[in-house]
Amino acid sequence: MTTATTREAGGFRRTWNRFRTYISKPQNAILLALGIILTITTIFPMYTIVRDTVRLHPGSIDTQEKALNNQVDALGTTLTTYNWTNLFTDTITTRVERERVTRSVASIYLWTPLLNSVLISIFACFGAILYGGVFAYLVTRTNLKFKKYLSSIFIFPYIMPQWTLAVMWQNLFNSNAVTGGNDGLFVALFNTYMPKWWCEGLFPVSVVLAIHYAPFAYILIGGIFRNMDANLEEAATILNTPRYKTFFRVTLPLVKPAILSTVLLVFSSAMGSYPIPHYLGLTTLSTQYVGMSSNRAGQASILAVIMMLFGFLILIVNQRTTSGRKNFTTVTGKSGQSSVVNLGSVGKYVCSILFVLLTLFTGILPIILFAVETFLPNPGDYSFLTHGIVGHTTTKWWVTSENVTENGMYGQKGILYNADIWNAFGGTFLVAICCALVAGTIGTLIGYCVSKNRRSKWASYVNNMAFLPYLMPSLAVGVAFFIFGSGVGIYNTFLLLILAGTVKYIPFASRSALNSMMQLSGEIEEAAIIQDIPWWKRMTRIIIPIQKTSIISGFLLPFMTCLRELTLFMLLCGQGKIITTMLGYFDEMGLYAFSSGINLILIVLILLFNTLVNKLTGASIDSGIGGGD
Amino acid sequence: MARIELSHVTKRWGGFYAVDDLDLMIDDNAFVTLLGPSGCGKTTTLRMIAGLETPTTGKITIDGVTVFDSEAGINIPANKRRVGFLFQNYALWPNMTVYQNIAFGLSNIKEAGLKVSEDGEIIRNPSAGGAERKLTREEIDRIVARVSAIVKIQPFMKRYPGELSGGQQQRVAIARTLAPGPRVLFMDEPLSNLDAKLRLEMRSELQRLHLSTGSTFVYVTHDQMEAMTLATRICLISNGVLQQYDEPLTVYNRPNNTFVADFVGNPAINFMNARGTQQQDGSFTLKLLDRYDAEFRPGEKVEIGKWYEEAEKEIKAFEAKVRPAEKTNKDEPFKYPVAMVADAEEKKDPDRNDFVLGVRPEFVRICDDGPIEGEIFSAMPTGMETTVRVRVGNYLLTGVVFGGVLYRIGQKVRLNFAGDGTTLFSRVNGRLVACGTLNVKQG
Repeated sequence: MTTATTREAGGFRRTWNRFRTYISKPQNAILLALGIILTITTIFPMYTIVRDTVRLHPGSIDTQEKALNNQVDALGTTLTTYNWTNLFTDTITTRVERERVTRSVASIYLWTPLLNSVLISIFACFGAILYGGVFAYLVTRTNLKFKKYLSSIFIFPYIMPQWTLAVMWQNLFNSNAVTGGNDGLFVALFNTYMPKWWCEGLFPVSVVLAIHYAPFAYILIGGIFRNMDANLEEAATILNTPRYKTFFRVTLPLVKPAILSTVLLVFSSAMGSYPIPHYLGLTTLSTQYVGMSSNRAGQASILAVIMMLFGFLILIVNQRTTSGRKNFTTVTGKSGQSSVVNLGSVGKYVCSILFVLLTLFTGILPIILFAVETFLPNPGDYSFLTHGIVGHTTTKWWVTSENVTENGMYGQKGILYNADIWNAFGGTFLVAICCALVAGTIGTLIGYCVSKNRRSKWASYVNNMAFLPYLMPSLAVGVAFFIFGSGVGIYNTFLLLILAGTVKYIPFASRSALNSMMQLSGEIEEAAIIQDIPWWKRMTRIIIPIQKTSIISGFLLPFMTCLRELTLFMLLCGQGKIITTMLGYFDEMGLYAFSSGINLILIVLILLFNTLVNKLTGASIDSGIGGGD
Repeated sequence: MARIELSHVTKRWGGFYAVDDLDLMIDDNAFVTLLGPSGCGKTTTLRMIAGLETPTTGKITIDGVTVFDSEAGINIPANKRRVGFLFQNYALWPNMTVYQNIAFGLSNIKEAGLKVSEDGEIIRNPSAGGAERKLTREEIDRIVARVSAIVKIQPFMKRYPGELSGGQQQRVAIARTLAPGPRVLFMDEPLSNLDAKLRLEMRSELQRLHLSTGSTFVYVTHDQMEAMTLATRICLISNGVLQQYDEPLTVYNRPNNTFVADFVGNPAINFMNARGTQQQDGSFTLKLLDRYDAEFRPGEKVEIGKWYEEAEKEIKAFEAKVRPAEKTNKDEPFKYPVAMVADAEEKKDPDRNDFVLGVRPEFVRICDDGPIEGEIFSAMPTGMETTVRVRVGNYLLTGVVFGGVLYRIGQKVRLNFAGDGTTLFSRVNGRLVACGTLNVKQG
């Protein structure tokens, strides 16, 4: 009896000792804490979406329906399957040109948007890989001209807000005759009316998404091309392999992993994109969600759940592929110089000029167009261009300093004097800075701790937990935090925005930190541990100084992305809170000059920051790629 | 200054036993090398003693203090074990100068009864009492000056590691390790990144260092030459299992098994399959190299029947060990290499009359009256000695001849095995039966 109790006490002490040893290592303590926090911040909002699909929503179709049946109980406590059964089994009858057409609820609210979402995601993947991949090959493997200029301008579409290109597309091709609204530049200059399929719907959305995400493909595939050991190709050349065969049998298989990760990234990002389909008039899951979130709130949550499932699917595929045997190490050999394919003396200029023109459209023109828009007296009034009259421009959108209702200002002050706009900018900066600080710090710590515990299951769990929001469509994350935030009463607060932004952007920081920490030999820190140097000193004096570039990227990426984030935030606050939601407000008001002006300021700011940080620290947005909305 | 004791230390990942039930006693002031092929668990052993890796089970004591005990759940972290560790890749902090690299650890020491002598030696006397204090800047300077003088790096104090050559980086790493005055110094293949000439130089410097510091050195290497020349004792490990723990010359002359015999020595030992029985007088009559009759006379008394009984008892005990998980990296008998011109079918399932003879190259003598007939297969003179390979039938024997003797390839020679250092192993379990003299009868 006594021996049993002493053994028990010994067992307890042993467990306690073990726990103390485990927790005394800072990386273990941090992992434990972060694992718990991340589980809550990631899983709980997701859980709330799922729960939302079986709840009753005041003023929504589920409550009305229930009320008719006299089944209403206390709201919030009753669970109902109505939203699911109605969505999947009921039909709706509408009048289309005097004929009554009956369609199922699911086909209107679910299958059509889902099909569109999947289609644009697939097309965007193809387009991005084709455009970005070809560009990557040309820049890294051929004697293309103007490489430096081209490679920096090529990533502009990714740095700029997502809707930039969509808005530019409208400004270029829209016409009153075809799409309604104002005439675009094409009509004004060439009197050309583009057909409707070109202006709205699947085609422009796919093209714009492809251009927006092509930099992903360029950076990921180009990274492999750049590091690839030229010996691999030279070995094939020595064996007298034809060049096309070398490309298809040696080069292409080596970049396959990069292509795959681009596909996953673009797919999940395109899926959750809201602004582009919104501006270019295509019903996707995300626009459908926004459209039905008041009337059919519960069913909207079902759409969000489906988007989330796509996210999980992509995560699983990603796990499968990155752990496979075909995950080659391409940086093996010693040969520094990679063989350069000669495009020919004419070819190299032709290719370069082609890309200069293309990037002009995607990188420079939007900025010019936004700038021009702010000086037009009325939206779409390009008379100063067509008639060459400088007097047909105005500075009123910028400098009006009092409330005037005429001139189409709707009582707004000019951009420079408009307190609402600057408040919104202030809000955006507050959110961006906080998100960057919190996400950057947590991400760096995760990168550090996971690299220290490579074999541990818990570490890989924490890593996956932090990584999950990365592959979740932005809108789904937004929905999750919207429901979560409304539930705990922090809707429309900066706190909620910062929380959502932090959770969504931790992967940027954790990825870039983990990648670089993995390169750092564990011995570097062990050499300090052996000498009994405390943890904080090891971090501040050794690890952080060595890794400063990637750590700064880890802070920079969330910051830049936050500045231009709309999809994630638009559900979480009122329109005046931050600048990107403010944009939507001006668009709805028809004050396009204001939104153009804000876009202009935003783009210039982001480009300035990127250049500044790049010059100061050597860190750049492409080093921590990739992700984004 | 310190004695290290490992008992029943095991480290496994799932079913992979990196270190399998290791018992090891490292004496105070010893220079012990952990030797073995890559992946045998030697670095893991070292890191476990240093506290950088946590053993799965077992107990480790340093200087009488239990630093790890899986039973009691004790695990003193590496930073509290007061040991020095020299890393294979030096692990110099690239963001600090040489001076900062050495001084960084010193700026952190906080102890009672701390003193630094005029010539920069730390004197620890915690029993003297007094308040805990840190080292002053001037004291740190003195210590850095002393250790940098030992490894001769004074001219580089302001440089960054990236601006130093491999050898210089190595010296800085040594200085950094020595600075806090560790009682034990662990070294993980510290010379493997240096070129051959520098390695030789550093080897002798390490030996001097061991003498002058008086610390216990534990040194990991896969280079048997390094182990032979530096160590006071060699600990040979294979597949996580201790093979032999002895003084270098014992390991060389009386290898416990064919693995040890083959691993130590360059050029490698000659193995010959032999078959025969033990006679009344204790000697063995053997048939070897397909056609020669020979007599092996053991240097000590051995009775083969009893010897087998004891060996099997030990093997059974090893196999009967309780393991929480089945060992996936199985312990298989070492496949000793028999050098042949053309590969021949090997005899499977050896019985108790099958033996392996091991003859070191220096015991293979070329002499006109030798009983064995052969012809020169290859000859590699270095000036000091010539390594020759002689073809005997289908077999190849390696010998070392001292002096600048020139041989013609294809030349007919006669051989003999000299000395009493021939080793006889059992072919059943690869263990050493006895050392002795081998007399080959004229064929």
